[in-house]
Amino acid sequence: MLDILVKNGRIVDGSGLPAFSGDVAIAGGRLVQVGGQLSAEARTEIDAAGRVVAPGFIDPHTHFDAQLLWDGQARPALEHGVTTVVHGNCSLSLAPLKVEHRARLVKMFQQIEEMPDAAFQGAFEWTWESFGDYVAALRGRVALNVAPLAGHTPIRMWVMGADAQKRAAKPDEIRDMQDLLRECLEAGAVGLSTSYVDMDENFAPVPSRHAHYDELDALSAVLGEYGRMLQVVPEFYNTDVTVARVDQLAELSLAHGIPTTFSPLFDSSVVPDNVPRVLERVAEQFARGARVWPQVQTRPIDISFSLDMASLYFIQLPMWYMLLRMPRAQKLALLGNEGTRKGLIDAAEPGGDTQRFAGLRVRDSQDASLIGRTLGEIAKERGTTPAGALLDLSLAEDLGVHFLAARMGHEDPRRIGPILANDLVHVGASDGGAHIQSFATYGDTGYLFSEFVRKGRHLSLEHAVRKITGDTAQIWGIGDRGLLRPGLAADVVIFDPDTIGRADELPARDMPEGGMRYVRGARGVGAVIVNGEVTWTAEGGYTDARPGVVAHA
Amino acid sequence: MIDEAIVSPGHDGQAVLVVRLRYANGATDTVTLAAEQARKLMDDCAAESVAELRGQPWQRLLHVLEP
Repeated sequence: MLDILVKNGRIVDGSGLPAFSGDVAIAGGRLVQVGGQLSAEARTEIDAAGRVVAPGFIDPHTHFDAQLLWDGQARPALEHGVTTVVHGNCSLSLAPLKVEHRARLVKMFQQIEEMPDAAFQGAFEWTWESFGDYVAALRGRVALNVAPLAGHTPIRMWVMGADAQKRAAKPDEIRDMQDLLRECLEAGAVGLSTSYVDMDENFAPVPSRHAHYDELDALSAVLGEYGRMLQVVPEFYNTDVTVARVDQLAELSLAHGIPTTFSPLFDSSVVPDNVPRVLERVAEQFARGARVWPQVQTRPIDISFSLDMASLYFIQLPMWYMLLRMPRAQKLALLGNEGTRKGLIDAAEPGGDTQRFAGLRVRDSQDASLIGRTLGEIAKERGTTPAGALLDLSLAEDLGVHFLAARMGHEDPRRIGPILANDLVHVGASDGGAHIQSFATYGDTGYLFSEFVRKGRHLSLEHAVRKITGDTAQIWGIGDRGLLRPGLAADVVIFDPDTIGRADELPARDMPEGGMRYVRGARGVGAVIVNGEVTWTAEGGYTDARPGVVAHA
Repeated sequence: MIDEAIVSPGHDGQAVLVVRLRYANGATDTVTLAAEQARKLMDDCAAESVAELRGQPWQRLLHVLEP
């Protein structure tokens, strides 16, 4: 008897080949048959008529390291069809990590990935130091598959202690790091992550940034023994340096026979030649035989702010910017002053032109009825202007209201579509589980289909599915996933190609101890199957199944 | 010298300031500043608005980019 029989689906198998109609049979956690009409008995039968049956999506850039320990479903990533996540990116992983280094590393996580205290303290029990014991802590707890990276920063801390954040490593320390990385890879690490960018809570460079090239070369040699991935955060804010990093990664890739990937890479009208120049160099290096995969996100970048901080969003309005830089008490007093208020409004809306703030949306407020509405709408309702509404709402909640300037970067589908369709571009960089109090890092897969398949037609359905399944599995060497083929792991997502997308971004108070984060639900996804078990359905929500495995263990 | 400074979104959803530079030999480049660095640059240049950064020597950036 089969475990699951998915009937009458439109099968998009992750290879990029044309879709075909048929059934998908699952038993023992594996795909048994893909295509054809089956009449075998199954414990669960799913009618997929009119819907796509595809491999589960693989998200190659997340920071679910801690969340998986108190939420093994990585909500809401799973309901978007994500069945495998890579975490431990950007030099930061929770293992290998000595007890005495926990507090330091958690501070770095909090600073860099904007994750609150509660995500690390009290929500789970720290039972490990070694990578193997961390992997053991995940086993039986996760509903989706995990492919953890070993972070360069904790590896340095383990070997060098406090000196990890002060200096280059000595030869014997590099050898110790190699041995430690080898242990991690044996225990299931999918590769090594490092960063040239990140700063700790004191704005000091994280340990990985103190490594010289010989150290990264030595660690890459160990990756070469296993054919595993090197993930890097380059100086993405400078095109010339990013291009230089592409060259450096290419040398490591060629010397050690390893795949490498870097993120983020995003488009901006302010620096329009950034992505084209980087991709040109990537193509040159691929032509030499190197593997240097740039990760590009699908979603546009929004700017979020409150009047509590002096966001650069206001730097073109000198009066606003100067006022927002003042000490809080002084700022509040001035914002409440009628003369100052009039001056601020006049500066933002010269000659009564109210366009500047009219499109801003309320992201978070104690008044739930305001969330998601534009200042233009609210101003009209209240008989004021958008700038007036911005001030009134902020003052009413002691500057606690957050606003959103949507689609400020990486927002032009005519530019982003061809980038995502490029065969040398790795669709990723969602940052799932990070920056949770700034924006929602979920639903990028749905957005790929809604914006770039249905609306812009930059990718075919089959191409888009391949980009986030078969291609991702191949890039990361996750051999038994990413395709619908008999014998492979039964990670399957069933979705409506006409409606799949991402829901609106909303604040949710579902973090440990009631903490807030931004989330997005899924649209158009019908069911998500991981290793042959149903983990989520549109009708029933999340199930109790915990079939996730460590991809390389 | 600084040719232009433009607000742009950063990777983490915060606004950043992209500064366009033009060197004496005609070469151009851009430098991206986070909020604190941008504040430092404005203060160093005694600029009240980003428009006032135009024409400032590129060496101003050396100070603000120090870790």
